[in-house]
Amino acid sequence: MSAATATTGADAMERNGVRVDDTFAEAFPMKATRVLITAHNATWANHAAVAMTGFATSVIACGCEAGIERVLSPDETPDGRPGVAVLLFAVSGKELAKQLERRVGQCVLTCPTTAIYAGLPAGEAIALGRNLRFFGDGWQISKMLDGVRYWRVPVMDGEFLAEETTPVVKAVGGGNLIFLADDTDAALGAAEAAVAAMRAVPGVIMPFPGGVVRSGSKIGSKYPALVASSNEAFCPALTPLAKKTELDAATGCVMEIVIDGLLEADVARAMRTGMEAVLALGAAAGVRRISAGNYGGKLGPYHFHLRKLLAGEVRS
Amino acid sequence: MSAAFHLRLRTQPALRLDLAGITPTAMAGQDAAAFARRPLWHGNEALPLGEFFDVRVLADEAPTLVFEGDLGRCDGVGRAMDGGSLRVEGDVGDYLGAQLSAGEIRVSGSAGLLAACELAGGRLEVEGDVGDHAASALPGDMDGMRGGLFIVRGNVGARFGDRMRRGTVLIFGNAGDFLASRMVAGTIAVAGETGAHCGYAMRRGSLVFAGPPPAIPATFAATGHDIRVFWALLARSLAAHGGPFEGLAGWRPQRLVGDLSADGKGEWLLPG
Repeated sequence: MSAATATTGADAMERNGVRVDDTFAEAFPMKATRVLITAHNATWANHAAVAMTGFATSVIACGCEAGIERVLSPDETPDGRPGVAVLLFAVSGKELAKQLERRVGQCVLTCPTTAIYAGLPAGEAIALGRNLRFFGDGWQISKMLDGVRYWRVPVMDGEFLAEETTPVVKAVGGGNLIFLADDTDAALGAAEAAVAAMRAVPGVIMPFPGGVVRSGSKIGSKYPALVASSNEAFCPALTPLAKKTELDAATGCVMEIVIDGLLEADVARAMRTGMEAVLALGAAAGVRRISAGNYGGKLGPYHFHLRKLLAGEVRS
Repeated sequence: MSAAFHLRLRTQPALRLDLAGITPTAMAGQDAAAFARRPLWHGNEALPLGEFFDVRVLADEAPTLVFEGDLGRCDGVGRAMDGGSLRVEGDVGDYLGAQLSAGEIRVSGSAGLLAACELAGGRLEVEGDVGDHAASALPGDMDGMRGGLFIVRGNVGARFGDRMRRGTVLIFGNAGDFLASRMVAGTIAVAGETGAHCGYAMRRGSLVFAGPPPAIPATFAATGHDIRVFWALLARSLAAHGGPFEGLAGWRPQRLVGDLSADGKGEWLLPG
């Protein structure tokens, strides 16, 4: 999901020439899991992770939001091989289980040399290898090691090994930052700097391409069939036309970053990190404002106030 | 009232003495006098436990039993135990830890026949040897050990792990004939030599030979694929128990499958 509206505060806070709006990002409860993909080398682990997290930008039409959390060194993985930690978020545990099974089945099981493990210590268990084992057509074998069941499915390069289940936990989806800039270069530069900094924060993903979304949406549309449509208040092309706009005439480009996190504190930490990266660039880089999207605070229980985050008033 | 007791065998019973039911959780909450009145089958005669054991209370607050003496004529020690800790300072008789589902049993000596039969959970560790039919099914039953961890620091007898279907076993010494016969699943790692007919009719499950490789029967065949991923998990789990298993992670094992006369999905893992 992405932003709906934003509020520009009258007493705007400014740092390094960049104004921070007196507003908040409104986020929602989601269900999430972390899985660890390992492979013969980092390249193949990455191939599997990229494929598995493809077409997973928004729950609006993808079924889940997913992304690579971080790259794992061999000493961080269960089997001592290079790996990647992936986070998946969905609106329900049932949908998450469905998406996980499809994505692991089509993108990880199929990828040379990979294995997959649960990456969270506790939570409600959903199937990981439990159903995929049937690909083995009766040749699959299981092994319980130290209380954990693994499935070994014969495949052409040897065995696909998968932990039987992975825990699901309550999580937070839809944290966001909106960067308003002079032009495309400035807006992209700000968003890229923010994403680069936020990727170092554990427990979060930025699910859109490159971590950035340029099509901020609002709920609903003039067309009844659509559940979401372009948020004209943030479209520079509509600044002189829209009934309500958040932009001034000098704003030529806007970019948004959506953040999903395992914990509210993770999202808060990522948002603060992203804002600080952009504030460090300053107005000299063509950035004018930082804002955030919300729905008036009535839909989502998690409110991330930008100024409170920067002031350290929100524990992150 | 106490949770922990020390039982010293005062005199060697003339007949087999059945200690089934004397488990830490069953005895917790009693006083020493009530404990001593508990009837035990001695042959076909029920006699108070106090006829054979001196019972004294220990300070431990967790359900605990400590046996002292040569319990070689005492059967069923820890049988059907479902929690707590049981320690034997000496040898024990037959059916040690049979049907154990939770908790921990440690024996400093050796055990008789049918130890760890149908063991379903918890941990059973024997410093000495165990007799025949350990980790297998109780007479008349279809399934053997079905969970938990069984460690034997010494040697094991014949038919070890017969019909075993889950759980992990580490044998630091040698194994007798028919090791893992008719095995259904689970893991057995053996550091010493094995007797004749190892893996006879095993259907599934894993046998790890950390010591001298056994003779390969005609009904076992090598697979050439890369099993390093699974091996990394298994070797680390076994290596945690140290001794001859400590260096397993450094192996690149040879894998055989069999028994081809019985489904053939069992595996042997040998030094590569």
